[in-house]
Amino acid sequence: MVDGERTEKTIGAELNTNSNIKVLEKVGEAILSINQAKNVDQVISALYSLAVRLFPLDSRAFAGSIDKQYRDEVIGVEVPSEHERDNWWQVFYRSTAFPTLARVLLSDVALNWLTCFPTSAKRHLYDVFFLKGCVSEVVQTLVPYLQHHSNGKLETAVCSNTERLLALCLLENDGVLQLAREFSHQPENISLEQHKSAICKVSQLVISVPDKARQGASTLLSSHIYIKRITIQLIQGAEEWNNNYTDKSTNFNTILFIGDAFARICRRGSTDVLLSEMIPRIVTQVQSLVTPGCDLTISESFKSKSSLQFWSKIMEAVKDSYAVERISEQLLQKLATQNINDVEGYWILWLLFHEIFELQSSIRSMFTERFLLWKVFPVCCLRWILQFSVLQCPPDNEFKVKSDDHCNLLNTTKRLLAVWSKREFVQSAPIEQQAYITAAIGLSLEKLNKEDLDATKDAMHLILQGVSCRLESPSSLVRQMASSIALVFSKVIDPSNPLYLDDTCKEETINWEFTSANTDKAGLPISDGKEVNTTQDNSFKDAKVKNKDKELMELTLLDPDEVIDPATLNNEATSDVDDYNDDDNEDDDETSSESSLQPYDLSDDDTDLKNNFSQLVDVVGALRKSDDADGVERALDVAEKLIRAAPDELPFIASDLVRTLVQVRCSDSTLEGEEESAEEKRQKALVALIVNCPLGSLDPIHKLLYSPNVDTSQRILILDVMTDAALELARAKTARQKHPTRAQIWTTAETQPWFMPSSIGPAGSSIWKEISATESPLSLTYSYERDLPSKPGQIKKGKSRRWSAKSMNEVQDNRVEWSQNKFPPFAAAFMLPAMQGFDKKSHGVDFLGRDFIVLGKLIHMLGICMKCSAMHPEASALALPLLDMLSTREISHHAEAYVRKSVLFAASCVLLALNPTYVASALVEGSSELSRGLEWVRTWALSVAESDTDKECYTMAMACLQLHSEMALQTSRALESSDSVIQCGLLLLPLYIEVA
Amino acid sequence: MSDSHDWYDDTSGSHIRCSGDLPGTHKSKMSKRPPPDPVAVLRGHRASVMDVCFHPSHNLLFSGSSDGELRIWDSVQHRTISSAWVHSAAHGIISVSTSPSIGNNKVISQGKDGTVRCWDIEHGELSRTPSVSIDANTYHFCKLSLVKRASGDTKNSDKLTPHHVKEATEASSQEIYHGVQEEAENSKIHKNDDCQEGRPYVAMAGAECSEVEIWDLNAAERIARLPHSSGASKNDFTRGKGMCMAVQAFLPSEAQGFLHVLAGYEDGTMGWWDLRNPGVPLTSVRFHSEPVLSFSMDGMFNGGVSGGADDKIVIFTLDLSLGSCILKKEISLERPGIAGTSIRADGKIFGTAGWDHRIRIYNYKKGTPLAILKYHRATCNSVSFAADCKQMASASEDTTVALWELYPPRPFA
Repeated sequence: MVDGERTEKTIGAELNTNSNIKVLEKVGEAILSINQAKNVDQVISALYSLAVRLFPLDSRAFAGSIDKQYRDEVIGVEVPSEHERDNWWQVFYRSTAFPTLARVLLSDVALNWLTCFPTSAKRHLYDVFFLKGCVSEVVQTLVPYLQHHSNGKLETAVCSNTERLLALCLLENDGVLQLAREFSHQPENISLEQHKSAICKVSQLVISVPDKARQGASTLLSSHIYIKRITIQLIQGAEEWNNNYTDKSTNFNTILFIGDAFARICRRGSTDVLLSEMIPRIVTQVQSLVTPGCDLTISESFKSKSSLQFWSKIMEAVKDSYAVERISEQLLQKLATQNINDVEGYWILWLLFHEIFELQSSIRSMFTERFLLWKVFPVCCLRWILQFSVLQCPPDNEFKVKSDDHCNLLNTTKRLLAVWSKREFVQSAPIEQQAYITAAIGLSLEKLNKEDLDATKDAMHLILQGVSCRLESPSSLVRQMASSIALVFSKVIDPSNPLYLDDTCKEETINWEFTSANTDKAGLPISDGKEVNTTQDNSFKDAKVKNKDKELMELTLLDPDEVIDPATLNNEATSDVDDYNDDDNEDDDETSSESSLQPYDLSDDDTDLKNNFSQLVDVVGALRKSDDADGVERALDVAEKLIRAAPDELPFIASDLVRTLVQVRCSDSTLEGEEESAEEKRQKALVALIVNCPLGSLDPIHKLLYSPNVDTSQRILILDVMTDAALELARAKTARQKHPTRAQIWTTAETQPWFMPSSIGPAGSSIWKEISATESPLSLTYSYERDLPSKPGQIKKGKSRRWSAKSMNEVQDNRVEWSQNKFPPFAAAFMLPAMQGFDKKSHGVDFLGRDFIVLGKLIHMLGICMKCSAMHPEASALALPLLDMLSTREISHHAEAYVRKSVLFAASCVLLALNPTYVASALVEGSSELSRGLEWVRTWALSVAESDTDKECYTMAMACLQLHSEMALQTSRALESSDSVIQCGLLLLPLYIEVA
Repeated sequence: MSDSHDWYDDTSGSHIRCSGDLPGTHKSKMSKRPPPDPVAVLRGHRASVMDVCFHPSHNLLFSGSSDGELRIWDSVQHRTISSAWVHSAAHGIISVSTSPSIGNNKVISQGKDGTVRCWDIEHGELSRTPSVSIDANTYHFCKLSLVKRASGDTKNSDKLTPHHVKEATEASSQEIYHGVQEEAENSKIHKNDDCQEGRPYVAMAGAECSEVEIWDLNAAERIARLPHSSGASKNDFTRGKGMCMAVQAFLPSEAQGFLHVLAGYEDGTMGWWDLRNPGVPLTSVRFHSEPVLSFSMDGMFNGGVSGGADDKIVIFTLDLSLGSCILKKEISLERPGIAGTSIRADGKIFGTAGWDHRIRIYNYKKGTPLAILKYHRATCNSVSFAADCKQMASASEDTTVALWELYPPRPFA
């Protein structure tokens, strides 16, 4: 009778009252005898006397386990008729009788007697009140007992018993399913509103069970398992309801319950569990319909299939809009991880949301606003969302232009474009968001045609605006977005003439994912000393790797151990001989030997023949002749070598050379087989020039940097070159000699003159000492020195030696001084002029605004310079002006993340470069400027770490903070080692703060 | 061929020597075997090496540079044996030459100062003073030529008619006033017919640059000038031909001891002179459009190779009986300028020294290219094969002499 088949009976009010009294009396009796019971058997018999009137019980099931005295009593109890029992059951659970008895059962009996109950009695007599009862009543009674307190503390026995009963009732006994069934019948004596509130109450209780259960409760009640099983029952209930009730509109209560339960599950944070049950069902159902072979079209079959309509009903019943959003969001995320195609994706969305989408404007705005503009989904989800919410037709349909849908699409596109095209959006939105919206626009544009765009005048304008402000971005990913949109746009305008702004997107279909494969790492090196290659470098590397691959491939194609069939060779030989015999058969002897004359590879190129420039003046001259591209190229070929040779005239020609090298136009493409492009050669030549003649070339290069006559790319080139030069100078090992050598520079070749000492020895072996005069076979005195290249990249076969005919004493006088870092003396010349004019805005120069990339590069270069002079006194001197520059508001709060990143980098470099003892002594001497500067670095890095939108900025700021604390620690150590700790305690305060 | 000789059969693979002292290795394997590198590079000259030649029997190599230094190298150990400044540094050496005809212990150097000097080699050292010094008073670019004799094999000699044998020399313009001497000179040569070994001749461009002069080396006296028009025939053969740029004297076995001279001129003409008729050349042809810079004759004097300042190499045949010089094959080059040619003694291959820094090897019989040797970094001035056909030397303006070993001859051939 607990079953759903039980038919509703009309119980007359009179009868009802009558039996009500009887039941209450009986319950009272039972409670009384339980209270007075002296042993467990008395309790059992009291319970039985009541239970037998309510449930069909078999006393024999537990009779064996009780005393004979009571057994007779139990067996002797009169068993009522089925009708009467049914009647009693109704009354018992609809009246106060059940709560009254339950209170006794759950607290008193559970505490005092239940442990003594035989297992069979417990199951058949005790549990039966809860398992075979009216589930909604049982739940309402049981759940409060999960947190039963007496005297202010939790009754463990009561709670665990309640937990057990709930698990049995709701999970083992399919209680939730029963609830669903129960709720389909609205009792006549209560109104719809009351019923609904009851439903809400019950569902709230049911879903709250895992949260109310104690810490150590059975795993069945743990949130994950509990919700999972409940969900299964709920869905089953919905399916049953769908099958049983053809007239959906009238009987909505079951679905109301399910929807409410779903909403509460979401509210309690178990949406994932809910969806993990829902998704497989929906997917299989959708896939079964989508698979081809049906007579009907997919869309017809979906609409006719009534068995699936409960899904949308459930979603309709979820009144909580937050829950709907959670469900739809997680649904999309989860579906994206599965192998779902666009058609299936669309139909899944349709199945769940089509009704509420039509009915509720909040849902519509959720899809068209929140999911397009605010959230970030995988691109496949984006397609489904667009298809479902904007196009509103299945994707397999030819897109038939329904005017309203089309209008819809146009409006959406326009709305997206309005956001997308704003410069602020490019600057501040996270990259994922940008990629998502870009993809949304791209996908929408693909559906549009030229007429549509013409109709909306501002769309075109917005597209151009968005593309142009993205193309300047330092991030290649952002540029790629722009070029993708430009490509789609150009295809819309003229499908036959696509516009490729970028080499990377040559494929037919655009990759809207902007996947990580081609994300650029950091535009700038991270501050902890490891330099991350810039994108440009990466691409070069890629190209080189490709070339290498190519070479490898070619090599593998040619097997050096190739087995040559002698027969073929003979054939060749004989054919050769035939030839020969044809034109000269007079000499048989020689014909056979002709075969020995196999030609070598006859390929020839004339690269070595082009006459090269040997004077820097000629190089300058050739570079100035911009119309002679070949000459320019050849000049670039030799420029670096000539500069590295550091001829005497270099200082005089340096400034001309700098100007011509910066201003020459050269191609960035590498010819087949050539190692470097002209662009690289130019850069290397400039680096060599700065390295070899810093003072002569830095002045003109700084002038060029702020000159209105150069463009952004040239400015970037200048800064790149300065950076490289600073690094090279810092790495260079220099030999300073007190006297200029009169030695002849003698480059000997591989075949060694017999009088030279053996050159055999490990690479990097020590300097050659002189051979004493007496041992020499010649009567001359020779002295030898060996200068091995220190740069790993510069491996050449030949050795250069200085060969001099000087006496030993002279050589000793001439002893070489080695210094590791050549950069510090030039640091000021590198940095100060570059820092002077960054905030000036003149014709063609606007570092703070339009040319922010140059500014970023400039700051980065300054950072590198600091790093290169690290621990030298020059660093301390230059740190202050640099920090001053960095802390100006226009720079440190620049709108572009790129600039902020380089500021963080430079600040980190300053922290690295300062010698702790210098900081300590500056503090002791009371130099407030330095401590102010360092304090600014700390606070600013903190604020960036807290509030910056850019992820890289955040991580770099963290690294910067770490460096700062490191430096503070070192400084405090330096201070401790000196005696003046006390004096400067106050000044150090800011530093100590974050040491602590 | 016996098994033991298989190594020499070059059909089975490349014959590339790789040793540690090579200046460079080839970067990649290509579909064909890459051209070989030199087996050795002889360094020591301080100026452009103008000429190089092997000693006919010893392992010696002579090289002369434009600063007047003559070096003698051991061609096996690749070491300098001796070095001497044999001509003034200001003028330098045009050519060095040696031949069995002047004796095994002699080497001739020709300087731009207009002198030709003959040096004795004693224990690898040069004599302090030249044994003979000819002050020819000639100033030009033409390398002298010793008389090349037909190689021992004479089995084809019957094909050639002997009566055409003469000395072909060609000289420049008119020279009417020399006509009187003609008779006397001719008779002298006739007398020396039997004792050629003792009377080495040298052919070179004369004081008058369009003439060819023949000198007796031992006597240090000029014995003929070509052209040498007799009083009757007013010879204007050399008019407009310009300077004599290359000369090759040879003595075909059928020539009854009369010298023949092949001369190349500035305008590209080649003239074949028989010394018996110094007035007019036996024949003259113009295969080249630019100055002819070098000749090389094969061992049988059936033909030869010429290179010039234009972009071709010409292989020609000479027919003594008809007195004809016929173009056999013209090899066109990408880049003009062949400064030196040399046919190997076995007549299999020949090499050219190009202005384009390359030594090129061709099959002499067929004229097909065999190798392009890239080692020199400046103009190549000369190329020369050793008499035993095993080695080849190339001289270049980059002050080096490179030794090569290519297409080794069959040992029993």
